[in-house]
Amino acid sequence: MAGVMASMEACVPALRRYARSLLRDRQEVDDLVHDCLVRALDQLHTRRDDGDLRAWLFAVMHNLFVSRARRNKARNQTVSLEEVNQDNLATRATQEGHMQTHDLLRALESLSEEQRSVLLLVTVEDLSYAQVAQVLGIPIGTVMSRLSRARERLRQMTETEGPPVLRRVK
Amino acid sequence: MSDRSRPVDEDDLHAFVDGQLAPERRVMLQRYLGADPDAARRVAAYQAQRAALRATFLSSPAEMLPPRLELANILAERRGRRYALWRIAAAIALSLGAGTAGGWFLHQPPVLDRTARAMQVLKQEAFASHLVYASDRRHPIEVGASDEAHLKQWLSSRLGRTVAPPDLSTLGYHLIGGRLLATERGAPAALFMYDDAAGQRLSLLLRRMAPDLKSTQAEMAQAGINGCAWIAKGMGYAVVAAMPDSELDRVADQVRAELSTG
Repeated sequence: MAGVMASMEACVPALRRYARSLLRDRQEVDDLVHDCLVRALDQLHTRRDDGDLRAWLFAVMHNLFVSRARRNKARNQTVSLEEVNQDNLATRATQEGHMQTHDLLRALESLSEEQRSVLLLVTVEDLSYAQVAQVLGIPIGTVMSRLSRARERLRQMTETEGPPVLRRVK
Repeated sequence: MSDRSRPVDEDDLHAFVDGQLAPERRVMLQRYLGADPDAARRVAAYQAQRAALRATFLSSPAEMLPPRLELANILAERRGRRYALWRIAAAIALSLGAGTAGGWFLHQPPVLDRTARAMQVLKQEAFASHLVYASDRRHPIEVGASDEAHLKQWLSSRLGRTVAPPDLSTLGYHLIGGRLLATERGAPAALFMYDDAAGQRLSLLLRRMAPDLKSTQAEMAQAGINGCAWIAKGMGYAVVAAMPDSELDRVADQVRAELSTG
C-alpha cells in the first residue's frame, strides 16, 4: 500500500500538467487533480495490479474531466496554454532554438481538445498508443487519426509562420 | 505493427517518431523515408514537434505542490470525512436515545453470549445505516431499482451468497435500490431501501452470520424509529423504519415469506 502511495504521489506533477492542457483556470486545474486523487483512492481496490498506474490515473482524470465538461457545457472550457506556461516562455524560447515555443503553444491551443489530449499523452507523457486509447476510451484507430491530424496541423501552422524549423532532419 | 511484410503506412511514421515502432519494421521505414522526401520532411517535422513539446512541458523546474494536492493530506481528509459520517450517525442516535436508557444503539450490556452479541451488532449496523442513508434524499442508494438484476448480482457476489430484494409491493413498499455496507469486522453487508406512497423509507439489511447462530425476531425501538432483527440459516436480517411495530412485523413476515428463511 505504501508503495502504491509513493508511486501515486510521483504521478501528481504529470496529472497536473495534463490537467493544464484541459482547463484554463489554475483553480480548476487543481480541483480536477484533487478530485482525481480522491476518486483514485476510492477506486484503488478495483484496479488491476498489473496495469500501469500512471495510465490508470490519467483515465480516472479523463473520466472526471468528461463528466465535468458535460455538466459545465455552458461554461467556457477552452484552454489557454500560453497563460499556463507564461512563466516558462521567455527563457524557453531562447533555449529552444529549433522551434519557437510561443508559436508552438499557440498552434497547440488551436487544436481541438481531443487532438491535443492525444498529442500530449503520446509525446509528453510517453504513453503507448494502446494506453492512450484506454485512457480516453476510444479505439486505437481513432488515437492514430487524431495524432496524425494534430501533428499535421501543428506542422502547417509552425511552418508557414515560424522560422525554418524543420531543417533539422537527421 | 510487427508484421514484416505489410507496407509502410501513416501509423508507422508516427510510431517511428514516438519510438513505438517494432524493431523489425525500422529498417523498412528508413528505406521508405530515403525514397520519399515528403514523408521524410514530415517525419522530421514531427520529431521537432515532439522535442519542442517535451522541452516545453517537461523541463519546468519542480513545482511546490499546494498542500491540498499532497496525498497525505488527501488521505487525512478522507479519514475525516468517514469519521464525520459516523459522528453524525452517533449524534442522531444519541439525541434520539436521550432519556431512554434502554436504547439499543449505543447501549452495551456487560456480558453477552455470542447470539446476543451478534444480534446487537446486527441491530447497530441496521440502525446506523438507516439513520445515515434513509435521511439522504438524493443518494440513499448506490444502485437503483431500475437496475435490479445488476443490484442482485453485485451484492450477491460481494456477500458470497445469493441475496435479492424481496418484493414488498403488496404492503405498499417499493424498492428504491440498494447499497453495499461495511460491517464492523470488514465483511460486506447489503442494504435494500424501500419507500411507500408517502415517501416513508424502510431499510432492510442483510449480512452473513456464523452458520450456527440462530435467533428469533427481536424488536427494537427508539424515539419513533423501530426495527426488528433475526438470524436464520447463516444470515442476519434487520428491518428499520419510522413506523409502528405492528407495521414492521408485517414487513418482517413478508420478507421471511419472500426469502423463505422460515
